[in-house]
Amino acid sequence: MIKVGIPRALLYYQYYPGWKTFFEAMGVEAVVSPPTNKAIFTKGNSRAVAETCLPVKLFFGHVIFLADKCDYMFIPVMRSLGGKAYHCSKFVGLPDMTKALVPECPPILDPEIDLTEGRHRLRHIIHTLGRHFSSDKGKIETAAEEAEKAHLAFRKDMSDRGITPVQALDELCQSEKESDLGLDAATILSIAVIGHPYVVYDDYVNHRFISRLQDMGAKVLTPEMAAQEDLDFAMKKLVGNPHWSFEADIIGAGEHYLGAEVDGIITVAVFGCGPDSMMIDMVRHRARECKIPFLHISLDEHTSDGGLVTRLEAFLDMVKRRKRVCA
Amino acid sequence: MRIGIPHWGHAYLTVEALAQKLGGGGNELIIPPPTSQRTLDLGVKYSPVEACLPFKLTLGNLIEACELGADTLIHGRGAGICRLGYYVKGQEQIIRDLGYDAHFVTLDVSQHKFRSIMHLIKDLSNNAPWPKVISAFFFAMGKLFALDKMDKVVHKMRAVELEKGRTNQIHREAIKAISEAKTDREVKKTTGEYIKTLSQVPKDPTADPVKVNIAGEIFVVLDPFANMDIEMELGKLGVEVERTMSLSRWAKYGLFLNHLGINEWKEVHEAAMPYLKRNVGGDGWESVGEKVVHAREGYDGMVHLAPFTCMPEIVAQNIMPSTKEDIPVLTILCDEQMARPGMITRVEAFVDLLKFRRKRRGK
Repeated sequence: MIKVGIPRALLYYQYYPGWKTFFEAMGVEAVVSPPTNKAIFTKGNSRAVAETCLPVKLFFGHVIFLADKCDYMFIPVMRSLGGKAYHCSKFVGLPDMTKALVPECPPILDPEIDLTEGRHRLRHIIHTLGRHFSSDKGKIETAAEEAEKAHLAFRKDMSDRGITPVQALDELCQSEKESDLGLDAATILSIAVIGHPYVVYDDYVNHRFISRLQDMGAKVLTPEMAAQEDLDFAMKKLVGNPHWSFEADIIGAGEHYLGAEVDGIITVAVFGCGPDSMMIDMVRHRARECKIPFLHISLDEHTSDGGLVTRLEAFLDMVKRRKRVCA
Repeated sequence: MRIGIPHWGHAYLTVEALAQKLGGGGNELIIPPPTSQRTLDLGVKYSPVEACLPFKLTLGNLIEACELGADTLIHGRGAGICRLGYYVKGQEQIIRDLGYDAHFVTLDVSQHKFRSIMHLIKDLSNNAPWPKVISAFFFAMGKLFALDKMDKVVHKMRAVELEKGRTNQIHREAIKAISEAKTDREVKKTTGEYIKTLSQVPKDPTADPVKVNIAGEIFVVLDPFANMDIEMELGKLGVEVERTMSLSRWAKYGLFLNHLGINEWKEVHEAAMPYLKRNVGGDGWESVGEKVVHAREGYDGMVHLAPFTCMPEIVAQNIMPSTKEDIPVLTILCDEQMARPGMITRVEAFVDLLKFRRKRRGK
């Protein structure tokens, strides 16, 4: 069976169920790299220019891991999901950067997703992608439809049940792992964690950020736990039409949770993230206006978690005291 | 209305020319003081810490314009992949928080540029009649072209002049004369005269300058404060600088010829194709292409300028080392931490390398 490699990085956290469904319906096996580990981290780091942001470096690490384990590498180019909103340049340059930095990479499948060009164009792109595996047009069409359904179901499942993509993906892959992220009655603080899925859910990058918060007695709310419509609505209210495709997930989520009166809001971003440098400032600004405690965590290649833990503890202490005083 | 603008290289001279021709009809143009350390400090102080240098510099300019009483601020806006599209959203909030009562007027620099510029001029000049707007516009464009034409000559002459600094001196006088010119004819005449003077500067007969191309992100490439006058520093070291980008070129193609289907970057994009297949926003695609094109043309090296954390240029930076067409590239990242001596040391080492490389190849 033909094997297609899917790096467990960047868009994986948002789109994997759809991709997996598509490839399986096409009779192709989707091979995913393991969660980020030290080897992947080091390899990815060594190839890219120092200034590149951490998630993109990790992406190369995952590609290197998969290079000899698959026949094709799936690196879609996400340009735009409609409107006048775009993804960051690095998402658009991914396949070409991979080619330059990971010469051992198998042939790259790089469908360019740009919904500003209309659904017809998207269908054409999907057909071009599907033709690598089958000449049966009907089969490609069915696979694409199933993939879309799977993607929407995945998104809805997360917001309905208030779970993270990692939990949803674990269930999807029938993993035995018992997740402990359930809603515990003893938790007293609700903390919204805002950031890109590939930062918030990559435990190696963020030093098990979410489980640490939960251990400290916080109920964590992430953008995926709210319905997409709510996020879009909150974003529109604050900034109007988006400039970036993921603006609803950052600004929208921030605004949504501020409106829901969470006890505190934490933004997580990697150092050097262009879009976040602007968007997080908006969230910070709004948090100040709403008088809700705000903490920004900037992550980079440093592997020590001491500083992070101290800051989280101090923040939660402050939130707790504030809650007691205000109550 | 008191209209404030940010600085970008010598772009302000164009705006000044417009105001001079149109009178403004009660509106006043406020050109903030030339970008200085204070401008940068202001920008850095009030910007998000990881914002890029052009954001910080233009914010500093706009704050300084507000201090002088500007209430209407002009800024570029683009629907592209890069951060530029977010500048206005961010800066508007910062300026409001600082307590200035100013509103932004945006200039769309990615689509409908010509229409957008024309309407902007008309609105800001209190509805001056169209013929007047158009003639003022072309007068301003004339100045822009004259300045860039002068730049090209200066780039060549700095490398070979006998008495170091002579070219710069004439160049400064020329800029002053052009900015003071009152009519199209005067602009043309002044330009011609100064170009003649420049070409008569005594040359060092033994000079054999290395040729370096400057490319990268357009704001830092064209703004001498942002890139610490790198063109002049290269000139001092006896390097002939070639720069494809210029404001007049952007205006000429972006405003007119692109609409006729002429793409000034066609050759560059085609050259980049084997390495980068698509536009990544900003000037990333062009940077990769320029390296390939100039390597083919036999240039000795390339200086690649980018603001720190510029997304499109990071893509270019990652791809450039793998091109088959090989010339040395020095990437200089511009941000508020940059200091002139650091830049000069790196440029000197780079130029030494180029000279050595040329000598070895010559043998």
